[in-house]
Amino acid sequence: MENLDWLLQGFEQAATPMNLLYAVIGVLLGTAVGVLPGIGPAMTVALLLPVTYNVSPSAAFIMFAGIFYGGMYGGSTTSILLNTPGESSSVITAIEGNKMAKAGRAAQALATAAIGSFVAGAIGTALLAAFAPPISRFAVTLGAPSYLAVMLFALVAVTAVLGASKLRGAISLFLGLAIGVVGIDFLTGQPRATFGMPQLSDGIDIVVIAVAIFAVGEALWVAAHLRRRPAEVIPVGRPWMGREDFKRSWKPWLRGTAYGFPFGALPAGGADLPTFLSYITEKRLSKHKDEFGKGAIEGVAGPEAANNASAAGTLVPMLSLGLPTNATAAVILTAFVSYGIQPGPTLFEKEPLLIWTLIASLFIGNLMLLLLNLPLAPLWARLLRTPRPYLYAGILFFATLGALAVNVQPFDLVLLLVFGLLGLIMRRFGLPILPLIIGVILGPRIERQLRQSLQLGGGEWSSLFTEPVAIVVYVLMAVLLLMPLVLRLMHRSEETLLVVEDDQDQREKAAQA
Amino acid sequence: MIVVGYSADPFGRAALEHGIAEAKLRGTTLWVINSTSGEAYVDAAFAQRSEIHDVEKHLNECGVAFELTQPVGVDTAAELLKAMDRDEAELLVIGIRHRSPVGKLLLGSVSQQLLLECPKPVLAVKPDVL
Amino acid sequence: MTTTSQQIAAAKPTDKAQYIVCAVLVLVGGFLIFDGLTLEEGFAKVDPVGPKLFPVVIGVILIVLSVILAIAIPRGSVGEADAGEDVDPNSPGDWRTVGLLVGLFVAVIVLVNPLGWVITGTLLFAGAATILGNRHYVRIIAIGAVVSLVSFYAFYSGLGIPLPAGILDGIL
Repeated sequence: MENLDWLLQGFEQAATPMNLLYAVIGVLLGTAVGVLPGIGPAMTVALLLPVTYNVSPSAAFIMFAGIFYGGMYGGSTTSILLNTPGESSSVITAIEGNKMAKAGRAAQALATAAIGSFVAGAIGTALLAAFAPPISRFAVTLGAPSYLAVMLFALVAVTAVLGASKLRGAISLFLGLAIGVVGIDFLTGQPRATFGMPQLSDGIDIVVIAVAIFAVGEALWVAAHLRRRPAEVIPVGRPWMGREDFKRSWKPWLRGTAYGFPFGALPAGGADLPTFLSYITEKRLSKHKDEFGKGAIEGVAGPEAANNASAAGTLVPMLSLGLPTNATAAVILTAFVSYGIQPGPTLFEKEPLLIWTLIASLFIGNLMLLLLNLPLAPLWARLLRTPRPYLYAGILFFATLGALAVNVQPFDLVLLLVFGLLGLIMRRFGLPILPLIIGVILGPRIERQLRQSLQLGGGEWSSLFTEPVAIVVYVLMAVLLLMPLVLRLMHRSEETLLVVEDDQDQREKAAQA
Repeated sequence: MIVVGYSADPFGRAALEHGIAEAKLRGTTLWVINSTSGEAYVDAAFAQRSEIHDVEKHLNECGVAFELTQPVGVDTAAELLKAMDRDEAELLVIGIRHRSPVGKLLLGSVSQQLLLECPKPVLAVKPDVL
Repeated sequence: MTTTSQQIAAAKPTDKAQYIVCAVLVLVGGFLIFDGLTLEEGFAKVDPVGPKLFPVVIGVILIVLSVILAIAIPRGSVGEADAGEDVDPNSPGDWRTVGLLVGLFVAVIVLVNPLGWVITGTLLFAGAATILGNRHYVRIIAIGAVVSLVSFYAFYSGLGIPLPAGILDGIL
């Protein structure tokens, strides 16, 4: 198969000493920031965007991918050892994982999380390698109207997430679109929203926005809530598992992967739903139901696998369609743009070596993470002793450095401050970050697609609806948008859709008691 | 009143034991302070619930009247000095650790600050070497 | 009963500070509409959208959203403050620290060209760490200086980006 050929070439490239070094740096950094609460892979990739100025694309993306996967691994370490979770997608792992740790089974919890993450990552990356090229090939055949519909769908999906405030999602989105407007109109050449400043005629550099919103905004927000009661860390030795644990874990690993990958690949998915579903499923299917809530290993194995598979899944729309579905993917996309590589369906055609090297390095990085995390877990736990003043001063330092490096002008620092304050306001008032970034990235592209589609269609609005894919996507969009209304008419809330089967279990228990 | 600077390690426990002994000797009360700057996610010296439970049990068994506080977000030395400013405070008990000359230079020392700045008597103890 | 529902409505906390968001939305939206309308029309035949449509529509929607939010606030609509992984959102915010950091940042913006990156970077790192509570002054300035120097040279020789040298130009 041609793809297999490419994959082998990718491995060849990814295995060069330079690229391997970047992979190691990436996974180490990724695990470190995954362990540290408050700093995430998205912020780290944003802070590292300046390296794209002089490093080869494959090296940079290998590092970013390592950070992406590493963040998942690090997050599970914290959620098991601390009584507060690391990454937000590790909340479910913390339920059973921390209980296991308190019962003296931290080593097993860490082992099942690490191995499960590896299994899920390996399978997920393989599925990525299998599915992304055909999707991309199909997407290339889509005309401008269909591609426009898909992009609009991504916007709506990211805003209309189940269970979140649609109002605030919309506010974030439109603020992002507003930021995207700044610049010179590509068709008529007129400056828009540039305040008459020539520095803004190229638009606001996406690197500055990413760094400002992710790094500066977060740093300022944490600065407002700096000191608090230290959490309790459960000391642990080297992770390992016994045969019994292994037997109980391997099926949850596979089931978790099956949940995680599709949800990750869909724009409206994300990592929270599949980990939640995996937990409920494992609870239902387990022969050790009574252990749940006190430290059941299936409750760690399944959700962790789901988590990592979801991460692999989000790379599918990112690489095949150029659509980011989570914050880290969005920032990695900006790196593509930084290199002048156009993300989208043509990526596989135009830069096959780069993409396949990236995919190959995902396999390598995944393996590295397993090998690094098993022996090094106690060390990562020590990282948690770093005082926050150093951490966040460092973040502000690197954020300033990164923003300054874009054009070496203080004006970018002004933008950094302004958007950093915006990031702070968003966090204070519960406005989700992802729709804003997606709005900034996709807004100009959507406008361009729309106007080009209309040009091709001779200026007729109906030309937007001529392709079957476009129509299907618009219908799906309408469903997604109208769902809250329908639910309200049926006097139910979205939360009841996610009804925890625990409810039923609780009733049964109450009935038995 | 005796003030004890407590930390969740052998040095703090040594200070606690000596503090209890002094309190019994002088027939006075004990104030155990276990503070943290709250700056790091994890502070090994900050006693968690189970340890606090054990300490309180131990103090109750010893029959000494005590108060135990865990201020968060403060500087340890400043907090202990503030406690010693009270009229009824008569003695400060702290555990000290050996530092190499380089360590003394590079790292700050809470114990050194307390020994030098506290106007009232300070009892510096080391854990028993078994 | 009406009294209990009234009591419930009164008990729900309203986060009046959210009006700041409304203000921001109105400002941005208003600006977009104003700026958009001053643009010239495009090639109307094949570009029925023109350069005006997007900014104006976005601006209008922003203002509509602002109104919706303004109505929702007194009804108790509260955005869940980002409970990031490292934040306890229920504690009252320490805005003084934030204000100091912003002030430091403004100082950096003003000083980075005249004084150069090495000095300003050190100032930024040491200043931020001190504002955030660090008390080991000598240590932090030393670390800041080292990191600023290293990054200065690294960016110049490694990435080919000359950061401002400021008054140290010629020495570095």
